[in-house]
Amino acid sequence: MNASSGMPTAQNPSARMPASKRADLRPSTQRPGGGSGAANAPKLTVSGLDFHYGKYQALKQISLKIPEKQVTAFIGPSGCGKSTLLRVFNRIYELYPDQRASGEVLLDGANILDKQQDLNKLRAKIGMVFQKPTPFPMSIYDNIAFGVRLYERLPRPDMDERVEWALKKAALWDEIKDKLKQVGTQLSGGQQQRLCIARAIAVKPAVMLLDEPASALDPISTLKIEELINELKDEYTIVIVTHNMQQAARVSDFTAFLYLGELIEFNDTNTIFTTPHLKQTEDYITGRYG
Amino acid sequence: MEQELSVDVSAARMQRGAMLDRIFRGATRLFAIFVLAVVIGIVISLLVGAYPALKKFGFGFLTSTEWNPVTNEFGALVAIFGTLVTSAIALIIAVPVSFGIALFITELAPRWLKRPIGVAIELLAAIPSIIYGMWGLFVFSPLFADYIQPWVTDHIGSWPVIGPLFDGPPMGIGMFTAGLILAIMVIPFITAVMRDVFDVVPTVLKESAYGLGATTWEVVRYVVLPYTKVGVIGGIMLGLGRALGETMAVTFVIGNAHEISASLFNPGNTISSTLANEFTEAVGSIYTSSLIALGLILFLITFVVLSLAKLLLMRLTAREGKRS
Amino acid sequence: MNLYTRRRLINGFNLTVSVLATVFGLFWLVWLLWTLLSNGLPWINADIFTKITPPPGSEGGLINAIVGSVIMTGVGVLVGTPVGILAGTYLSEFGRASRIAPVVRFVNDILLSAPSIIIGVFIYEVIVVSMGHFSALAGSLALALIVIPVVVRTTEDMLRLVPDTMREAAAALGAPQWKVVTTIVYRAARAGILTGVLLGVARISGETAPLLFTALNNQFWSTNLNQPMANLPVVIFQFAMSPYEDWQHLAWAGALLITFSILVLNILARVFLRGHRSSS
Repeated sequence: MNASSGMPTAQNPSARMPASKRADLRPSTQRPGGGSGAANAPKLTVSGLDFHYGKYQALKQISLKIPEKQVTAFIGPSGCGKSTLLRVFNRIYELYPDQRASGEVLLDGANILDKQQDLNKLRAKIGMVFQKPTPFPMSIYDNIAFGVRLYERLPRPDMDERVEWALKKAALWDEIKDKLKQVGTQLSGGQQQRLCIARAIAVKPAVMLLDEPASALDPISTLKIEELINELKDEYTIVIVTHNMQQAARVSDFTAFLYLGELIEFNDTNTIFTTPHLKQTEDYITGRYG
Repeated sequence: MEQELSVDVSAARMQRGAMLDRIFRGATRLFAIFVLAVVIGIVISLLVGAYPALKKFGFGFLTSTEWNPVTNEFGALVAIFGTLVTSAIALIIAVPVSFGIALFITELAPRWLKRPIGVAIELLAAIPSIIYGMWGLFVFSPLFADYIQPWVTDHIGSWPVIGPLFDGPPMGIGMFTAGLILAIMVIPFITAVMRDVFDVVPTVLKESAYGLGATTWEVVRYVVLPYTKVGVIGGIMLGLGRALGETMAVTFVIGNAHEISASLFNPGNTISSTLANEFTEAVGSIYTSSLIALGLILFLITFVVLSLAKLLLMRLTAREGKRS
Repeated sequence: MNLYTRRRLINGFNLTVSVLATVFGLFWLVWLLWTLLSNGLPWINADIFTKITPPPGSEGGLINAIVGSVIMTGVGVLVGTPVGILAGTYLSEFGRASRIAPVVRFVNDILLSAPSIIIGVFIYEVIVVSMGHFSALAGSLALALIVIPVVVRTTEDMLRLVPDTMREAAAALGAPQWKVVTTIVYRAARAGILTGVLLGVARISGETAPLLFTALNNQFWSTNLNQPMANLPVVIFQFAMSPYEDWQHLAWAGALLITFSILVLNILARVFLRGHRSSS
């Protein structure tokens, strides 16, 4: 067990694709706040993805490539399918009958929609943070340790270390280091959300999915979460769904605009917000509908 | 694949997880099916137990008023009659009272009073039925016989049509007393359902009626009641189901007489009180079998009534779900 | 009289009737409790808790009946609770896509309100007849069958109150479903589930009808599950219906004991659930 490592291990280089194949992904070379360079290989490659809630088709033939160690934002009006798309990446939708996805989503070259794919293993690799904070009804310490214990047997000192590491990553350690035994539900909303981020980090995922992580929070907590996202992208591939366009502009490197279950435009954030190729995108960005 | 995972995952542990998932799901499913099996088992065991009696008396079992352990002649009509009459009395009293209480709790009571009143009414349901029986027999019946029955018989007993219902010697016990006690016992159940369904009415609807200048009563009469009609009937059915099967309280005060009489003040019998009184003392297979047949009839009646209640309440919640 | 006055009068009249209905309901509660206190309290003494049920005309208590009731209620709850919790878990966690779940839910709600005396007849047919004699075990199983629907219903309701996001969050960490349910969902709903069990205990503590021809009664001290066992409800029934004054006094004392235990259980369950809800 890789208890020694303080950081997630490097990703598989074999998943890199030649630049020529990345037709729909036009990374800009100069981006304000752009992370560790733009020429990153796709971490997740979606092609021909359909999604159904019963008879209702929520996603239609989505294809896009999510670059590694960058922040990718999904924007669009409510009901456009942005959250649905996010929920495909860890197949959390499978908790509910009559929701199904078809198509292909490659994570490091393997199709996660494959029936053979072990769901729990997939989800351990892909962390998720939800719109509303979801602290478990247990102590702060146990909240973090819960996910770790699922897959690793760590001696107590190592676990302590891991909990501290995760909480520090989530910029929460200093605020709560003296109350690790307290129940997680007693924290403020913003702290709860960072606790959930810490909990997801603690299992050392490769990808972090954030489903409107700040929409239930006050402006100051929102700012903290955004700062956190900026720091985390050095090590994680982050996908964030947001209804707040300013937020998408602030935190993301790439932005996908979805509308009525279709991917309208996907490009680097700068381009999307300054010179979108499509009129539809521009209308949404400038608030003409949504 | 394994090496590139940032999480160290043991394949064996994964398989164990999947297996435990199946075991857990299977166990919960097994016990869910067990609940179903119990109900089916009840029906089967009652059918088997009732078979000798049903075979001997046939359809006549339902229509015969005979109940004679000596000659081994049995019929269910007296007990069915008593069960239906006492339950009817219970509903006639309990429905308006429950409606009044539910109205008071949801629309009238000040905030601080809603909960205590609600809890107090619910506690009526918590008191064991045997306590109602003792109270009915030792406390209520004597007072009823001394002060109320003579007056009622004198004043109403001579009226045409309904007079005979209130005729007869003032004994205190009898079908009316049983019905009244049943009414008190089912009030909490009907009230609870009515209260819950009244709370379901969207505030906007009520506010728009108030906005037109409607009085509280008009809002209840023209907005709340039409909106919750189905649920209210469901609640009444639930109360009826309870009243039909109630045993101990009735056994104390019904008088245990195997006869049908016009007067509600006369003693009678219900299915459940017959079972409670005679089951352990029944000798002979036909006697026992006849009692079980009574049980079968009771179970079928309550099953139908409770199913109706449930279906009506489901209709209300289904509509609720669709709207939101 | 103009229309407006008329409407106000109708309103006033109906609302007054509603208040009266509430007073009517509470009146019986107060009367019942007062009856219990005035008839039962004088006969509550040390003997009740130290001596067994006497033959007519001599001194005695209720200890064998109290112990018998505790044993049978205990066994009934121990058997019924796990069954109820697991079945309720199925309805809430696995039943969304299942065809059998709606049927079980429907039937369970009917069982919840079904006449308890029928449960007695059923257990008599299935257990007493095949064992050849009445027994405390049969009584306990009858009580278990009454506990089960109560626990199934509250477990399902309480598990459904746990937001789906909680399950999603646990599953998103890679927890298998059994782990999500047993460590996260149960923990989040434990106060509610416990309330359901308490209400189940309260419900069966006073049940008489299903014990009449299963556990029967026993004049003497017995803790043998294979034999008839004394129990408060049936003792109260027999003693109250008897012509002996001593027995009737004991019946009132027992009635007071049993009712107040049940009321305390009910109030505890409510306070407990509310206290827990507001803190989380």
